[in-house]
Amino acid sequence: MAESLFQIDHLSIAFPEAGKGSHGLTMHTVVDDISFSMKRGEILGIVGESGSGKSMTALATMGLLSKGATILGGHIRFDGHEFLSMTEEERNSIRGNDISMIFQEPMTSLNPVMRIGTQVGETLQLHTALRKEEVHRRVLEALTDVGLPDPEALCRKYPHELSGGMRQRVMIAQAMICEPKLLIADEPTTALDVLVQQQILDLLLELHHKKNVAILFISHDLNVIKKICDHVLVMYEGKIVERGEVRRVLEHPQHDYTKTLIASFPEHTVSTVREIPALSLQHVNVYYQENPRALFGKKGRFQVIRDLSLTVREGEMFGIVGESGCGKSTLAKAITGLNPDYDGEIRFLADGRMVGSPTCCRNRKAPSNPEEHAGALNRSSLYRPQMVFQDPFSSLNPVRKIGWIMTEPLRVLKIRDKKEQRRRVEEMLTDIGLNPSYYDRYPRELSGGQRQRVSIGTVLLRDPKILVADEPVSALDVTIQSQILDLLLELHEKRHLTIVFISHDLNLVRHICSRVAVLYNGELVEMGDVEEVYRHPQHEYTKKLLAAAL
Amino acid sequence: MSLQYFIRKFITLILTLLLITLLTFTAFTIIPGDAAISKLGTDATEEQVEALREELGFNDPLPLRYINWLTSALHGDFGESYQYSGVTVAELLTARFPVTLLLATLSLILILVVSFPLGMLCAMYTGKWPDTLINQLSQITMAVPAFFLGMMMTWLFGLVLKWFQPGAFIDPFEDFIGCVRYMIFPTIAVALPKIAMVVKFLRNSILNELHQDYVRTARSKGVRSLRVLYGHVLKNALIPVITFLAMILAEILAGSIVVEQVFGLPGMGRLLITSISARDYPVVQAIVTYITTVVVLINFIVDVLYQFVDPRVRTTS
Amino acid sequence: MKKQRNYNLIIGLALTIALALMALIGHFWTPCSPTAMDASAVNLAPCLKYPLGTDNFGRDILSRIMNGSGITYLVAVCTVLIGAVGGTIIGAFTGYFGGIPDEIVMRLNDVLLSFPSVLLALLFISFLGEGTANLILALGVLFIPSFARIVRSEMIRCRDLDFVRSAKVTGVGTLRIIFAHILPNSLVSMLTSAAIGFNNAVLAEASMSYLGLGVQPPHASLGRMLSEAQSCLYVAPWYAIAPGVTIILMILGFSLISEGLRKVQNH
Repeated sequence: MAESLFQIDHLSIAFPEAGKGSHGLTMHTVVDDISFSMKRGEILGIVGESGSGKSMTALATMGLLSKGATILGGHIRFDGHEFLSMTEEERNSIRGNDISMIFQEPMTSLNPVMRIGTQVGETLQLHTALRKEEVHRRVLEALTDVGLPDPEALCRKYPHELSGGMRQRVMIAQAMICEPKLLIADEPTTALDVLVQQQILDLLLELHHKKNVAILFISHDLNVIKKICDHVLVMYEGKIVERGEVRRVLEHPQHDYTKTLIASFPEHTVSTVREIPALSLQHVNVYYQENPRALFGKKGRFQVIRDLSLTVREGEMFGIVGESGCGKSTLAKAITGLNPDYDGEIRFLADGRMVGSPTCCRNRKAPSNPEEHAGALNRSSLYRPQMVFQDPFSSLNPVRKIGWIMTEPLRVLKIRDKKEQRRRVEEMLTDIGLNPSYYDRYPRELSGGQRQRVSIGTVLLRDPKILVADEPVSALDVTIQSQILDLLLELHEKRHLTIVFISHDLNLVRHICSRVAVLYNGELVEMGDVEEVYRHPQHEYTKKLLAAAL
Repeated sequence: MSLQYFIRKFITLILTLLLITLLTFTAFTIIPGDAAISKLGTDATEEQVEALREELGFNDPLPLRYINWLTSALHGDFGESYQYSGVTVAELLTARFPVTLLLATLSLILILVVSFPLGMLCAMYTGKWPDTLINQLSQITMAVPAFFLGMMMTWLFGLVLKWFQPGAFIDPFEDFIGCVRYMIFPTIAVALPKIAMVVKFLRNSILNELHQDYVRTARSKGVRSLRVLYGHVLKNALIPVITFLAMILAEILAGSIVVEQVFGLPGMGRLLITSISARDYPVVQAIVTYITTVVVLINFIVDVLYQFVDPRVRTTS
Repeated sequence: MKKQRNYNLIIGLALTIALALMALIGHFWTPCSPTAMDASAVNLAPCLKYPLGTDNFGRDILSRIMNGSGITYLVAVCTVLIGAVGGTIIGAFTGYFGGIPDEIVMRLNDVLLSFPSVLLALLFISFLGEGTANLILALGVLFIPSFARIVRSEMIRCRDLDFVRSAKVTGVGTLRIIFAHILPNSLVSMLTSAAIGFNNAVLAEASMSYLGLGVQPPHASLGRMLSEAQSCLYVAPWYAIAPGVTIILMILGFSLISEGLRKVQNH
């Protein structure tokens, strides 16, 4: 162990518990007695879900823990020095110089009112006695190193003028400018698109080879870890549950948690699908209005979806994949009637007959007499597709109880009897794997997975034929993801639902969908049976996407 | 900074001014009570009143009267006061304006000089005793109305300690130093509650910024905490403070109206009060126009300042 | 994180309830009649019979304060109610629907909000004339913009959130979305702003009455008392201190409540 660069021994970190007992402080341990070491120039991965303590470990290494956190014990040694017993002054001379760090959120991690050049140069100014011109020259060099074009102009820009990928490159340039021995990367690619993610990983590997920097790479995503790391630690509930070479861990997982992590996609047995269309789109163009409500200022109408035609069959799990900004969410909004600004034809069909379209049931005020109204509601509104949203935290009204939220579709369906309402909601709660007592809880008392269950349950109470699921599991931890997918698949089977599953995650779509459509810049570039598309992609973009993801 | 943005803001400024003067003008013409009668007194004859109404242009249609008023106002002519016959409104204003300006300027300086160091001190010692002390003091100070503070100061420093003579205002053009010495007390009365507000706002603004991600980035580069505060956080934290200061400036104007009354300062505020009581509408209208102009101008300056301070505004507009 | 008691809220509520109770009692019973003058007891310092002393007409200051704070509270409650109801309706519709009406109303709001309320109240009074009812009307209308702004920003924040979208897809009507789904979300900010509103109303009432443009004699009001106290500041400073401190405590109560509510909101 003599040549190890960085070593953590029996480190434990805890937070004071936010419990009822205000006197006796109970501590909630987030990092529990972990030990590991890194050699010079090694890339070590840490994988685990949110709350597993992986970020805490990184922050402790930098001495950046938030105020509440307490280090209960252990040692952090870097290059022969004990980090925890250092003064703040000594740590500052190491931070940014010998160890540096990049973070997950490229959008907020840079100072919004400071020019790029100044920010990148600051690290150098702090740790060296270089003159201004020299600093500037090195900044340009560092920016070129991370593959940013026209560094001279870039130096004068502010962070908000750059894209997410460019900002992450700036972050890396800033972290690498003093040529540190250790770079800690905390989920550096999570907030980025698949292709950009790949570029950043390539960049990190390239810098690793060129500058021989050791990288501690933290991620929740085994796929990413697999691409970049030699060794990996698996963390679960504050403990290291498994460690070893990436390949070995992936192929022969020992711990139960690692096993669920690796096998986290439920395998979908494709049900017998009748070849009857349930949803048909013909030459659809969808537009997006920027600031539709603004009177002055920028008002733009952009075409997001171009001439798109596809048919979803009854009882099918149909996947739509693409990067952010490709128009998949806008398409979902057009189908569900949230975005009425489209032309072409979107039709909902039952037994081959047209039963409605997004616009015809959107405007409920139109029929003047109440009977007609009820009739309109019964016919076309019943066939209106329902939607499950991505973010479990904003998709439930924070000030209303679960019971109230789930009763809302019943009110729309004109089921007025209170007892009947309650009975149905409680029945649904059981169906979605929650205790009926959740009826009286607020959304904030639920975990992300539970909230997503409630969202699905609410939507099903509306009794839809078609369900549009827009990235329903992207915001969840891997193990929770598989549970929610299981639920979705179970309900799909049981209720003979037609599901349009929208995702950026190609692996996921491959596992659960029977057919898939690939969207790129608002156009449909490829469509077909999942296995066919994945084995023999035709379009260049699909090929690139698959290469980056698998 | 884009010229287009500047021009757009400027047009908004002019439109707001026109809108508000039109509104007040209309309001003053439709309120009950005949200005001609109030000028001549109740025992005037029918003919006298009618003659005066004709002379003052009261029989013209409203839009015409507004335009007439506006054109003469633009030349600095706001008509004649009703309560002091023979004195023009412009004369009244020029006599009173310097006093109010002096009070507002002194208050603003005092606010800036005192509140910024205190706010920074709070942010540096969050949760420790200097922060807690300043915080609690601000909470109480904010609750003290400026005019009550003024009264207490008059009593303590004027009547008991006899440091100044209440009511004996010294004309700034005769004895500037003596005037400023007298003004110290009204200035404190106006400024103290506002100082508390600014300290609190600045502290919260800095604390809010300290939780942002870029602070963590800066610290990960090895930036010392004091340099994080001055080099990174402060500029971000000051952006919302600018808007807040503009609001405070408008409130200084309002606060000084009442405080002028307490200390017997012959400023615009007192003129406004007496004119409202005497239904001296030309004067009220002129002061309203003046105050509106000041407030709208302050907002305009803030908008322009934002252009310089916040790069995000600069490019998105 | 250790759970902390919200002392601001507790102290603020206690203070406000105590003062409100005093005002309520003062409406029905006071130690002496608030208007009865006693020529033999002019400008008396606080003593057993008159705990807070007497004024220049020989009236009991305590009784006048108990009676006068009632009017101050009445003005405050009425103005905040007018502001909250008006502001909610305007803010809800303009915020949710946007467009030209929103733009116009909000421009107007911005202009009004940039003026200090005392100043605007002065203007309104100069149009409407002096008196308690006019003061309430003036201040109430002036408070509409601040509430409208809060409700509007909540509407704008929520109208594109997933829970509102999901209600739309479910088929919930627009009015129900505005008032049953979104509006409850703004409750805490509304309460905070109501507390600030009370605060401003007390201050504005006191200032206006002090200037002789609000509550008219012989009614007692805290601001009115201060203005009367000014002439006898030297002989009877307690006449100014008593109503002044009452005003401070009232404002302190409300501002502590608003501070406490803000903490609740941030949690």
